[in-house]
Amino acid sequence: MSGPAGTHDGTAEGATRWDALARAAARREAVEAGEVQHEYLAFRLGDVPYAIAVDGVREIVRMRPVTPVPRVPPEVSGVISLRGEIVQVVDLRRRLGMPEVEPSRSTRIIVLHGDVGEVSGVQVDGVTEVLRVVESDLRPPPSGESEFVSSICEREGRFVSVMNMQKVLDLGGS
Amino acid sequence: MSGDKAQREFVSEVEDILERMRDDIARLAEGVGAGAAADPRIVNGLFRSAHSLKGLSGMFGFDAMSELAHHLEDVLDGLRMGRSTLDHDGLSLFDEAVTLISSLVGKLDDDRARSDAEESIATLMERVDAWVAGPTESDGSRESEVDLPAAVLRALTEYEEHRLHENVAAGRNVFLADSDFEILSFEEGLSELNEAIQALGEPISTLPSPGESPDSQIRFSILLATTLDRDSLAEQLDLPAEQLHLVFEGEAQPAALTDAAATEATASEVEPRNEQTPADPGPGSEPSESSLKSISDTVRVDIRKLDELMNLVGELVIQRASIRKIAETLATEPATARVGAELEKVHRSLERKLADLQASVLDVRMVPLRQVFDKISRVARRLRVDLGKEVRLDIRGADTELDKLIVEDLVDPLMHVVRNAFDHAIEDPGERESCGKPVEGRVRIEAFQRGNDVVIQVSDDGRGIDADKVLERALERGLVTEGQELSPREILDLVFHPGISTREAVSTTSGRGVGMDVVRSNIAALGGIVTIESEPGRYTTISMTLPITLAIMQALIVGVGSQRFAIPLNSVRETLLVDPQEIQSSDGRELLNLRGEPLLLRRLSREFDIEPSDAGKLSAVVLGIGDSRMGLLVERLEGQQDAVIKPIQGPVSRVRGVAGATELGEQGAVLVLDVSALVEDALRGREAA
Amino acid sequence: MQRILVVEDSATMRSLIVSTLEDLDDLVKVDEAESGFEALRLLPRDDYDLIVTDINMPDINGLELVSFVRRDPKHAGARLLIVSTEGSDRDREKGLELGADAYLVKPFDPGELARIATELLASGSESPGSSD
Repeated sequence: MSGPAGTHDGTAEGATRWDALARAAARREAVEAGEVQHEYLAFRLGDVPYAIAVDGVREIVRMRPVTPVPRVPPEVSGVISLRGEIVQVVDLRRRLGMPEVEPSRSTRIIVLHGDVGEVSGVQVDGVTEVLRVVESDLRPPPSGESEFVSSICEREGRFVSVMNMQKVLDLGGS
Repeated sequence: MSGDKAQREFVSEVEDILERMRDDIARLAEGVGAGAAADPRIVNGLFRSAHSLKGLSGMFGFDAMSELAHHLEDVLDGLRMGRSTLDHDGLSLFDEAVTLISSLVGKLDDDRARSDAEESIATLMERVDAWVAGPTESDGSRESEVDLPAAVLRALTEYEEHRLHENVAAGRNVFLADSDFEILSFEEGLSELNEAIQALGEPISTLPSPGESPDSQIRFSILLATTLDRDSLAEQLDLPAEQLHLVFEGEAQPAALTDAAATEATASEVEPRNEQTPADPGPGSEPSESSLKSISDTVRVDIRKLDELMNLVGELVIQRASIRKIAETLATEPATARVGAELEKVHRSLERKLADLQASVLDVRMVPLRQVFDKISRVARRLRVDLGKEVRLDIRGADTELDKLIVEDLVDPLMHVVRNAFDHAIEDPGERESCGKPVEGRVRIEAFQRGNDVVIQVSDDGRGIDADKVLERALERGLVTEGQELSPREILDLVFHPGISTREAVSTTSGRGVGMDVVRSNIAALGGIVTIESEPGRYTTISMTLPITLAIMQALIVGVGSQRFAIPLNSVRETLLVDPQEIQSSDGRELLNLRGEPLLLRRLSREFDIEPSDAGKLSAVVLGIGDSRMGLLVERLEGQQDAVIKPIQGPVSRVRGVAGATELGEQGAVLVLDVSALVEDALRGREAA
Repeated sequence: MQRILVVEDSATMRSLIVSTLEDLDDLVKVDEAESGFEALRLLPRDDYDLIVTDINMPDINGLELVSFVRRDPKHAGARLLIVSTEGSDRDREKGLELGADAYLVKPFDPGELARIATELLASGSESPGSSD
């Protein structure tokens, strides 16, 4: 227990409260240690991990029927209805030139805020976690990396590509 | 160690609170010394501190500290609610309590010191309780005689309610002051307003609401008590009088500023708050009774709320369809036929009620065109002066109603058309005289309902459109080819082409056409169409036909391959079953003989590049926009549905031929066809992009 | 991913609440506001799934914040949890009447907060957490 002895009545709940507070303090210490903290939503395509800035994410929804739309680039797989809102879905595999797979139970559509209030959906194979990353974990992408990757983040020995969603969603106008 | 850090955090916050309490106690002591009543704001601040202390120490297991804070809180609550009055004994008790807690916090890790302090706490608490047992006043009636909107009343804390009643009992006027601020900078403006109010009386509560444009603005309704009347308050606060609603009228004579606060107010400099005061009529434009009435009889509703309501109705309509299916299934089985018939009866009544509900919701969205027309009259008045022309503007049908969202988007294109009429169509007085026309030109705007559409016509008796000149320009620009046969209507239609409708090209020669392409696309975006009629030298009439609402429409559901589409029923003239053999080809175009007239056909599968199924027969949906007709070939007709049409969001901003989409129950999203684009493309012989 | 906004003027209390909520799941993002005004500035920027607010605050009170959220269609899907030190029963009733979904009294057990928050998030919109 990290709570100082004698400061509470020794009850289990008193202890968990101090614990929670201590964890919060530790977290803040890391941030105050001069590191800017970023939050990324980690997701995957196959087994390859990717991440995007959490700030752009509005919500994550399960896969649902996608209605095809004519006269759009092939990366747009169609539209879905989100509580009455109609939102285009970009298939990230197609966008990155990866082979297509059948949607599975873990397939998700990440709904992103647009620049002017419009939202877009991006279909991924699964979302995994929210990464809290400090500046020193980030490095520039190696040369030859896809144009959609803005930086590489190292997590427990693995490298996660941080995507620039603005570029991903730039389908060259209409 | 982060454990230590957690503790330091706790201690430093407790110390901050204690510091604030010491300050407040000192300020109260000055007042008590001077024999004045305790300032309720300071007492309330002290109460809040004790309350926070109680919560914080309780949270981390400092039960004795929490207990003491709790007793203090009770006493202070009595004070702020007016159940007891403050004296020197009370103040010194508070002081002792703060000192005791402060010493306790300094020795959190010292068990002995802690148990000593806890004993002192116990005795102090007894003394605190004994002091409370002093004089008590009744809190008075909680019944409200104040005419407050429910939203404000419901969000008042018990203390704020008490302050309201105190002020009412003291005979002060109580107002609700509404003011809008930019979200990014509201704090500054609001605190200025609050300070100004403080100088004139007492701000009781501050209720935020979504502002006029909820993404960037926020509205605050400040409940305040003052001895001033509405006009002087409006003047002092520099707010338009209509933003001040009198919710309780006190007995105080507004002329006699006997109240201390009011006297102070007139003496002190009340900062004028020019920056965010809406530029509007001066104060006192309206008696307070009428504004009171306006609070109680009408509500301002965010259009998005209506959209949401409409969505819900739409969902109910979809659910209703499923109920009907169940009823039908039940009715066909002998064992359940009776239940099925019952259910069908219930369903029919549900259907009627839903239709009423839908109509009521739609009705709420409707606004008369008057507001747009008034705006146009104002602009016209200016135009007359600027242009030096004598023009009479007649307006008819201003009571015709349209969906508010359509009305908003209608202003620009309509203004454009009227401006064109004034600027280019109506000749100068001299020119008119020489053609034998009355010097005064005439422009007429007329609106009327036709079925489910509203038609707005703008006519002028100006120079009209010279079809030859238009054709000449079109030939120059290569829009039409030499020898191509065009009907007079088709020629006039060229005016809507972007290549033609520029000032240099047409306006000076034909008096028409500046930005007409923009007008057409604006109107098309609203699901409407624009047509033009003209006779050179005599008149031009531009007609805009718009759906009454975008919110909900009847749609025909059609199928091609594995896909479905919705077509707004108001542009469907008829549907025909077509044997592929009846389709005639000429010049790469497909035609159908429709009662002796050739009907241009388009295949939806080809248009949208959809794999067709091997359907034998096809259906032609005859689409009509104005006088233009075209047949759209589909494989299946799947019935009619109510549909709520929604814009499509995402990276591809516009898809030609698709107006939006709608949700159809389990089928998910279904695209709604943009009939005017499809018809236009077909008539122009344009191929799918 | 679930978005949570914590509105609480006590820094210690806020830390505790935020850290408890951050530990709920790998897929939560918690924003904090130290006053009602700050909350009003944050609200238009995001669609929150859950808003946790105190009642006693210096600028606007928690009831006013609850009332604001409930009257803004943008936040129709947001769940509201009032976390407040035991005080006026009337304020508590009002909070629930105004449309708060639950009320938690301080001092509370973080486990209890976690349980209520999880329940509210699950009952909210269709955003799934990290399940499967």
